[in-house]
Amino acid sequence: MPTVTTDPIVLSDLLAELALRQLPCGGWAALASSSQPAIEPTCYSALALDSVPVGDLARAQDFLLRTQNPNGSWPVFPEDDQGGGWITSLVVMALRDLVPAIPARLQGLHWLLNCAGKEANWFWKWKFRTADRHVRFDPDKYGWPWFPDTVSWVVPTAFSILALNQIPCSCGGLEQIPFRVNRGVEMLIDRVCPGGGWNAGNGIVYGAALAPHADDTAIALLALRDRAEDPVVQGSVDYLERTAQALAAPCSLAWAILALAAHRRPIASLRSSLVALPNLVSTVDTSTLALVCLALDYQRALSAFGVTL
Amino acid sequence: MSITRRDFLIGSAALAAGATVTTPFLLPKYHSDQRPKLSRVAILHAQQYSNHLDQILAAGLRLFPISVRGKTVVLKPNLVDYIPGDAINTHPLLVLAAAESFRRLGAKSVIVAEGPGHQRDTQLVLLQSGYEQCLRDEKIRFVDLNRDQLIRTTLRASYTGMRDLWLPRTVLEADFLVSMPKIKTHHWSGVTLSMKNMFGVVPGARYGWPKNILHWMGIQESILDLCATAPIHFVIADGIVAMEGNGPLNGTPRPLGTIVLADDPVAADATCARLMGFDPSRIVHIREGARFIGNASSALIDQAAETGDVPVAPFQVVPEFRFLQAP
Repeated sequence: MPTVTTDPIVLSDLLAELALRQLPCGGWAALASSSQPAIEPTCYSALALDSVPVGDLARAQDFLLRTQNPNGSWPVFPEDDQGGGWITSLVVMALRDLVPAIPARLQGLHWLLNCAGKEANWFWKWKFRTADRHVRFDPDKYGWPWFPDTVSWVVPTAFSILALNQIPCSCGGLEQIPFRVNRGVEMLIDRVCPGGGWNAGNGIVYGAALAPHADDTAIALLALRDRAEDPVVQGSVDYLERTAQALAAPCSLAWAILALAAHRRPIASLRSSLVALPNLVSTVDTSTLALVCLALDYQRALSAFGVTL
Repeated sequence: MSITRRDFLIGSAALAAGATVTTPFLLPKYHSDQRPKLSRVAILHAQQYSNHLDQILAAGLRLFPISVRGKTVVLKPNLVDYIPGDAINTHPLLVLAAAESFRRLGAKSVIVAEGPGHQRDTQLVLLQSGYEQCLRDEKIRFVDLNRDQLIRTTLRASYTGMRDLWLPRTVLEADFLVSMPKIKTHHWSGVTLSMKNMFGVVPGARYGWPKNILHWMGIQESILDLCATAPIHFVIADGIVAMEGNGPLNGTPRPLGTIVLADDPVAADATCARLMGFDPSRIVHIREGARFIGNASSALIDQAAETGDVPVAPFQVVPEFRFLQAP
């Protein structure tokens, strides 16, 4: 049964605006004022426009396939260096229903499995255990960095877990998936803020607790949907539920709706708040615009992220 | 003593090897010396954030022979995250006052631009910190530098060893870039002032949140490379309520009652450091920046307004930076 939004007119307006912003190359720019295509807004837009009769989804998917790096990763934008980055996990999900994209997705998954936070290396593990202890974390529990040769952070780890969890088997060179997913989950649990929720990944610095962020928390909770009974997860869902009531920024609110829906918390009032935000259609940030569409069509969006209700 | 051909060859090889190893340390790590002969700083007194800041700022700006007529002015505040009651961000009323002042001075356009380093949802920080309403009321355009169009830019110094960075078009195309830091201590770099404030121009969409690559390449080194590459034309530092202790997020508000204006970021930061009770020569990026970006020596800084009083007690810092506190 298709998801019916409380305000289908808002959703159709937003989708139409999103379609208008598609660039001739098939991609989307990060900001409405920009003409430089970028991968992140393209992924969210492709997911939002999937199975609706606006926009040119095939051209978007083709753009994503054309921009893959030779090493299997994806760059942040087409002219970028070819080392790849966290965005690879999001592209793997955005191309999930495209049969011709299977080889490209497999290459992307292999790249993800070979990419790890710098603390996975024994030397850095030792450094973080002995000499560099101002940020509280367990370096044995590592996930994914934003970019190779840096340490693990919450958002890239959560997206990588979501992407790897979509693979039905761990064969054909993908045997490492369960191990990496488990390590990533452990890393997320380890990096939680003391009162629940996540920020970029620094829960405690110099002995002081740092505040969680709604969007980072929501993305982490999507990746931890299968660990809903864990007290850390429950505490973080509670934090997000409390915080979301007062959110007036569409990006954080959209992520909160998706995560709370995934954890079976009520979202009707949050969706009403979201559609009531002023000037949604003129939101400058294209990723935010697409995320709002996804939140208003949350069942399909969660399915795209591999989260079953 | 005679030198054989063999001795000569061995000696030459040793000399060449030594030169190869030591030359990188001896050669300057900057491409050009951008220092003015004399820098100007004005310390303005303001005890609170109010709608009178534009008058204070306008009077202060008249002390500088700056011309922004017909230019695009980009104001770069320090906007990191929002924690109620904390002095984390440059106050929006000071940014509004600056925008109004530069408009009156004939600027073609005034843009506020920032790429928060901790919070990914820029609009949320804008809303919570009061920027969104202020900017909308005054019809001032905001650019999210974390997601702006990017241009590969060759670095004009080599402290980090990075050849280039992707930097936002808005910053690179600014005719007049104004760094507007919050005067704060920082648990990784000692202080965060006008030069460290430039971390906000490094796009999170490319380099992640926090801008971790800069930490791995060295914070002090990254500050120098950035400031050499995207020159700051003017500084308006918010020290009305500063921050001490475990900054930049979890410190304690410290009323300082000052706004520091300067036409040189090194002079601005050296002055702010003195106001915090620190010895600026002990802060690496200020000391090194004084070799090619600007002036840190009091003898090379023209105090255009009042001189700053050294605080009764130096700003508190995390233990690793107690050496900054001037005797």
